[in-house]
Amino acid sequence: TRPDVSPVAPGTHLLFAQSGKIEHIPLDGYSMNKGEAKALLHLPDRVAIAVAYDCVEKMVYWTDITGPSISKASLKGGDIISLVTTDLESPEGLAIDYLARLMFWTDSMKDRIEVAKLDGSQRRVLFDTDLVNPRPIVADPSYGRLYWADWNRDGPKIEMSNMDGTDRTVLVKDDLGLPNGLTYDPESQQLCWADAGTRKVQCMDPNGRNRRTIVEGIQYPFAIVSHGRNLYYTDWRREAVVAVDRTTDRETDEFLPQKRSRVYGIATTPTQCPQAYNYCSN
Amino acid sequence: DSTVGSSSDCKPCPCPGGSTCAVVPKTKEVVCTNCPTGTTGKRCELCDDGFFGDPLGENGQVRVCRACKCSDNIDPNAVGNCDRETGECLKCIYNTDGFFCDRCKEGFYGNPLATNANDKCKACSCSPYGTVDRQTSCLQVTGQCQCFPHVTNRDCSACQPGFFNLRSGTGCEQCNCNSIGSTN
Repeated sequence: TRPDVSPVAPGTHLLFAQSGKIEHIPLDGYSMNKGEAKALLHLPDRVAIAVAYDCVEKMVYWTDITGPSISKASLKGGDIISLVTTDLESPEGLAIDYLARLMFWTDSMKDRIEVAKLDGSQRRVLFDTDLVNPRPIVADPSYGRLYWADWNRDGPKIEMSNMDGTDRTVLVKDDLGLPNGLTYDPESQQLCWADAGTRKVQCMDPNGRNRRTIVEGIQYPFAIVSHGRNLYYTDWRREAVVAVDRTTDRETDEFLPQKRSRVYGIATTPTQCPQAYNYCSN
Repeated sequence: DSTVGSSSDCKPCPCPGGSTCAVVPKTKEVVCTNCPTGTTGKRCELCDDGFFGDPLGENGQVRVCRACKCSDNIDPNAVGNCDRETGECLKCIYNTDGFFCDRCKEGFYGNPLATNANDKCKACSCSPYGTVDRQTSCLQVTGQCQCFPHVTNRDCSACQPGFFNLRSGTGCEQCNCNSIGSTN
């Protein structure tokens, strides 16, 4: 295990994974404070894919396909703690339910969606059918829902279920290519995704209605996260983090890390957890 | 550590091309922070995801990082397609397998290097009645399953002329038709 290199200052940040490290960019309102972008964690021999954040304990969680493993570390510094190290092959998506203290992940080789407590205990398989290349997964703790996407080239889809695995439903299967990134904004109740096949960012209501295109003709998105009126996505071809304004449907900014290589998962670190109530948390 | 006060406090970063490094506070471990394009690792000794090689020549000759070489049988949208050092392909698709995704996986046959995905590897589908030990694998190129005596076809699904009872599970039996009463 290895402590972090530069603890993060208070405020909201973007966290994203790049070859051998997890970087952070402070957010000043909606704009990226690019001059202050730094490595949060050096993981020199690892390939981190998904990044997620627990707003309660202020911990960053990530999946690593070289271990393979799921680990966490505090934003304030400290050691890396391994949480899941067995029976994983290619964990590429990670969601945190900060209310019920659970994590959910996808594995594109085992073709599964699994759940465990945030310390890695009480692990269960939630789904192991009709999954080919599951990748992004997000949680909506206040409604107890899960959303995920599968980029299966013979039938890409976006699905949802309750967090206990009941009521699994396909939300989108038309006009999808490679839905690599997915994000849910609890405030506006919008489910948005980034598709490297159709080269679009699209949003809709979580029931599948009112689908609309935010931006199109984009390069090669991998992951996406929402923050207020903005969406931020990582792009493999541009090797950049791109900011998109959801209200004007325009790209507003980009961050090019000093190191030129593909960028993977992305997450935000809100200063407070969204206000919500969950029956299971009591 | 620049606070000790000796002339050897600061040492050059042990990183290729004089690139930058950082000292991890707790462990005092030195980590390169700006490895040359395509490389990563504590000392830039590894290739980025999707590439393989040995950029510092740690295990023999220097091998620059190159994109995974998997016979066009990997998906570019996948991550972790090959071992970053050896190049062993880890995510073969189209029912291929092997170090370079250059053969059909167990239970499949055909030409893994065909340009059209449909012409690549097909399932052996050996007949469970006509195949020895109910094997599910077949010869790589022709797809011939291993048939019981007097059983024929690639998939061992039929008896040779003059034989019957494929379903015996031990091979086909001679018809023994009386030559006087039979038409052939």
